[in-house]
Amino acid sequence: MKYLITCVFMFWIVSLLSQNKEVLYGLEETPQAMLLNPGSRISYEYHFGVPLLSHIHVNGGSSGVSVYDIFQESSLDINTRISNKIFELENTDFFTATQQLEILNFGWKNKKNYYFSGGIYQEFDFILYFPKDLAILAWEGNANYIGKEFNLGEINVSGDLLTVYHFGVNKKINKKITVGVRAKLYSSMLSFSSTSNSGTFVTIPSESGDNIYDHIVSNATINVNTSGITSLSDLDTRTQVINKLLGRSFFGGNLGIGVDLGATYEINEKWTASASILDLGAIFHKKNIESYQVSGEYNLDGIELLFPPLGNGDSSLPYYEDLIDDIGAAFTIDTIYNSYIQMRPVKMYASVKYNFGQAIGGDKTCNCLKMGENQKYNQSIGFQYFSIIRPKGPQIAATLFYYHRLSDYFSVKATYTADSYSYSNVGLGLITNIKMVNFYIVADNLQWYSNLAKAKSVSLQFGFNIIIDKNE
Amino acid sequence: MKKKSHLIFLFTAVILLFTACVKDTDFDQSDDILLTPAIVLDFLFFNLGSENFTDIGVNNLVVSDTTFFDLLIEDFTIDNLIKADFYFKNTNSFSIQLNTQYQFLDENNDVYYEIIIPVNSGSLSNPVITEHIEIIEEGTIVNLTKADKVVVNVIAPSSLDNLDGILNLQSKTIYYLSLEQ
Repeated sequence: MKYLITCVFMFWIVSLLSQNKEVLYGLEETPQAMLLNPGSRISYEYHFGVPLLSHIHVNGGSSGVSVYDIFQESSLDINTRISNKIFELENTDFFTATQQLEILNFGWKNKKNYYFSGGIYQEFDFILYFPKDLAILAWEGNANYIGKEFNLGEINVSGDLLTVYHFGVNKKINKKITVGVRAKLYSSMLSFSSTSNSGTFVTIPSESGDNIYDHIVSNATINVNTSGITSLSDLDTRTQVINKLLGRSFFGGNLGIGVDLGATYEINEKWTASASILDLGAIFHKKNIESYQVSGEYNLDGIELLFPPLGNGDSSLPYYEDLIDDIGAAFTIDTIYNSYIQMRPVKMYASVKYNFGQAIGGDKTCNCLKMGENQKYNQSIGFQYFSIIRPKGPQIAATLFYYHRLSDYFSVKATYTADSYSYSNVGLGLITNIKMVNFYIVADNLQWYSNLAKAKSVSLQFGFNIIIDKNE
Repeated sequence: MKKKSHLIFLFTAVILLFTACVKDTDFDQSDDILLTPAIVLDFLFFNLGSENFTDIGVNNLVVSDTTFFDLLIEDFTIDNLIKADFYFKNTNSFSIQLNTQYQFLDENNDVYYEIIIPVNSGSLSNPVITEHIEIIEEGTIVNLTKADKVVVNVIAPSSLDNLDGILNLQSKTIYYLSLEQ
C-alpha cells in the first residue's frame, strides 16, 4: 500500500493532466492546430512534421492535491498530511495522465483549395477517480466508522494505449467560414477500464442480535474490462512485449473509428469564432479480451460455535472452512471473453476572439506581417471553452488568452485557464517560423515552473514541422 | 536586431521551460508513510444450554468446541498486526457462575495464548452480563499470530443437570495494523 501511495505521487512528477491543449488551440501557424480543430484556417500550401519530433505532449496531474501538499519539507508528519488530504478530497477528484507522440504528420493544398492532412500518433490516456471511501477504509479501518456505508462503486479507473491514424480535409467555403473533418482509425494496443461498479460495505450493530455486529456487503458488482493485457503476461522479455505492442500499433490491435469536426467563422473583421468536436468514436474490442465481473452480497457476523457432543477422535466442525466457503460462494467471479465497445473520450473546444493591433493584409507592397489572407490584425484576445467527457461526467476548462504576432517568424500566445485542477493556470506558447522550419513550444501552469511540486497539473508540448508557403 | 532579440527571447524561454525544478520537498519522507487502520470484526458467538452439558454425560462439567482461525497466521497478519483488543460479552441466565476459557493453539496444539473469563451467575428472569476486554499488546501479539485455532471451554463448578438457563456469548476483535515498508 505504501509503495502504491508513493508511486501515485511520483507519477505526477514523471508524467506531467487533462487533454486540454488550451495554448495550442487556435495557433494556426502550427499544423498541430488542425488536430484540435480540423476547421482551422490554413495559410500555407504544404506541411510535414519532422517524424517523431513534430508533436510531443506530456500532461498529467490531480484535481485536488499537489506533490508539494504531501512531500513538502515541514514539521508536520507526512502521515498527518496524507490523512488531511484523504478527508479533503472528494470522490469526484481525479488523477490523470496523457501522453502523445506524433509519428507522422503531413498535408497539402490541392488546386481546388482543399487542404488534405493526415498522420499517425501514439497516445496514452489514464484517469483514476479518487475512491475516497475505500481510501478511508484502508487508511483508518472500519472500527471508528460503525454505520458508515463505504461505497464500492467509487472504483473508477481506465487507461488506454493506442495508435491513431487520421486523415482530414479542410476547406474555406467562403470568405467567412472554414470547415474541416478528420476521420480517425484507432488501433488499440492495450486497454483497461473499471467504471461500472456498485455496492456498499457497512458495519452496523447486529440486527439479529446473534453477535455484536453485522458486516454487510450489499449489491456488490465490480467489473474490469481488459483487452490486450493478459496475452502480454505470457511473454518473457521486455523486447517481446515491445514487439507485440508495436505489432498491434500497426492495425494489429483492436480497431475503432472516430471523427473530428470543426469550423471557424469570421463574424466580421474584428471578431472570429471557432469550435470543434474531437474523437467522436469508439473502439471495438474483439481480440485478446479478458473481462472480469465479481458480484454478490454477504452478511458476516462471526463464527457460531455449536458445542456438538463429540466422541474421542471426532473432529470439530469445520466452522472456519465453512465460513470461507460461504464467502467464496456468495461472490461469483466470472471471466468474460465477450467483445465490448469502448467510447472514446469526446473533447470539445469553442473559442471567440477579438482581433486588434497592427492592420495587415495580403498586399505584397504592404509593410505588414505575413499573416495569411485571413488574418487582419496581428493581435487578438479571446475566450476558449474546453470539455472532455470522462466516466463521471465532463471536465470543463475556461481560458482567456492573448495572442501577438511579433514578427513574420515569431508569435506568442499567453493563456489564463480555470479548470478542475486550478483557477489560476498561466500558459505560454512560442512559435517560430524561420525559413520553412516551424518550431513551437507550449506549456501551462508556468507560475509553478520554479517549483513544479506545487503544481496540481503541468502540460508541455513541443515539436518541429516543415511548412511551405508558395507566397513566401 | 529585432529578429535577434526574438530569438534570444525564444531561446531563453525554451531553456527555462526545460529547466523547471522541484524543490522544498523531501521524498525520503515516503519511508515514514505508515498506514494504521483499526479493523473491527465479529469473533465468536454461541448460545449454550444445559443440554450441551448433559448430552455428553450425566454430571458433565465441561463443554468444549474448537474452530480453526487461520486469519491469525496469514502472512499479512503476522507482518502487520501490532495489537488486538478482544471484547467478550457473556449473558448468563444460569444460577451458577461459569468459567469460559479461550485457548489459542498452533497446529501442534501448543497453547500460545489463553483468556479465562469468570462469568457471573444470573437467573432466567434476570440474566447477568459479564463483559471482558482482553488487550493484547505488541509484546505478546506475536504469540497470537502463531495460533491457527481457538479452543473454547465452558466450565461449570457443579452439575447443570437440573438447571435451566442459557449462556450467550457475543464477541468482537479490533485488529490494529501497522503497514510500513
